[in-house]
Amino acid sequence: MMPHQQLKGVFVDKGRRLQLATKALVPDPVYGEKFIRVGHDLYRIWDAKKSKLGAAIMKGISQIGIKPGSKVLYLGCSTGTTASHVSDIVGNDGFVYGLDFAPRVMRNFMFVVEKRKNMLPIFGDAKQPESYKKYVGDVDVVFQDVAQRDQVGIFLKNVDFFLKPGGFGLLTVKAKSIDVSKYPEVIFKEVKQILEKVVTIVDYRSLEPFERDHAMFVVKKK
Amino acid sequence: MNANTFINNFNSCSFMDLQKLREQAIIDVREKLKAAVTDDWLAIQASTGLDELDKAINLLVKRLREWYELYNPEFSHATEDHFRFVSLILTRNKADLLKEIKVKDTMGADLPKDDLDAIFNLAKHIKSLFELSKEQELYLESMMKKVAPNIAATAGVLIGAKLMALAGSLARLSKFPASTIQILGAENALFRHLKNRSNNPPKFGILHEHALVSKVKYGNKGKMARALGDKISIAAKVDYFKGKFVGNMLAEELDKRCRELSK
Repeated sequence: MMPHQQLKGVFVDKGRRLQLATKALVPDPVYGEKFIRVGHDLYRIWDAKKSKLGAAIMKGISQIGIKPGSKVLYLGCSTGTTASHVSDIVGNDGFVYGLDFAPRVMRNFMFVVEKRKNMLPIFGDAKQPESYKKYVGDVDVVFQDVAQRDQVGIFLKNVDFFLKPGGFGLLTVKAKSIDVSKYPEVIFKEVKQILEKVVTIVDYRSLEPFERDHAMFVVKKK
Repeated sequence: MNANTFINNFNSCSFMDLQKLREQAIIDVREKLKAAVTDDWLAIQASTGLDELDKAINLLVKRLREWYELYNPEFSHATEDHFRFVSLILTRNKADLLKEIKVKDTMGADLPKDDLDAIFNLAKHIKSLFELSKEQELYLESMMKKVAPNIAATAGVLIGAKLMALAGSLARLSKFPASTIQILGAENALFRHLKNRSNNPPKFGILHEHALVSKVKYGNKGKMARALGDKISIAAKVDYFKGKFVGNMLAEELDKRCRELSK
């Protein structure tokens, strides 16, 4: 188990095949993942097929902005698969605000939150940042993974609302929810053009072969 | 303590404040989740549960027939209806059953009581599953009459519940346009069409199961499905906003359209 060369808090296991891992904050599995014990430390294997952030790291993304001590606003946390690894990375000094608007997945997310003291659940709609601003202060990172047609608009609204100047934004774009009939590459190019007007784009990765027609944008607020 | 009190001193937010805010947020979400459970969710669960139950029954009956045919193949062959088959083999003996279908000799083996008991035990449980399925159907019917009486009157109880399940909730179904309701359940065909226009668009999704659509002749099925989608869309909106019962009127108009199309 080795620390990742660029990303603090992320570990790499070079076993039979390359695997990502994070130091487990709580010794309970969230989505049936495996644990590895090295000395006194317990690591949770991070499945890149189930997590888009994991996939982006596997694809060699250079910066994610999430590091120990960060405050992260996580939009579209679903059942908390990726969110739990983000919570591992930021550790006890950091904080994760997890938002979702589907009751079905929020119920499962609550079981994750109750065990992790650095997570806060928000049951609301990412389209309306005003409705949950009472829970969220300024954050260092905004991470978004929502399958909505107006993904980019929602992202920019939240970046504008909550992100500190100089903070990082991570946007997962699902091309199929923006327009099924267009080629994903065309959509990614359009998204890039919209983002460039408002923020600085730091990195961009397509998530093939882990996720089809998905891409991850890393941006920095001006 | 109220979460709002924390807004004022959020800038000087210390670790303890964050923990208090977290606890408050957990309480808030728990309450919201409790309030989010509405009757349409129960109807959706009952509807999907019913579908799965029917699938399970079919699977088990196939096995039962295969098994029973070692003993009495002629009767199984002659009785097509699953429910009738299961209830008859449980109540009557082999000789009676053979007499009923007027067969004198059987090619089935004579099995000892132990082996037969295993077969009949399975049959007994399948029969209770049939009864369960009927009970659930009654429950679903009462639920749909309560949650969505107009949808139940236009689309029918089973199809109405399936439409709600496909949309996710009554609220979402009520926001769908009629054209979306018309092809709900035919998403694959729709996306095939959107990607490549040489594929024809779907005319109906699960609405093809509806009695009115299957009644009209082939060339008019799309027209009937369109009319049905229109009326269901109206019904869903009335149900969601708790309006008066207009299901009768909508169903009458649909009947009229059906008569026009079957001429």
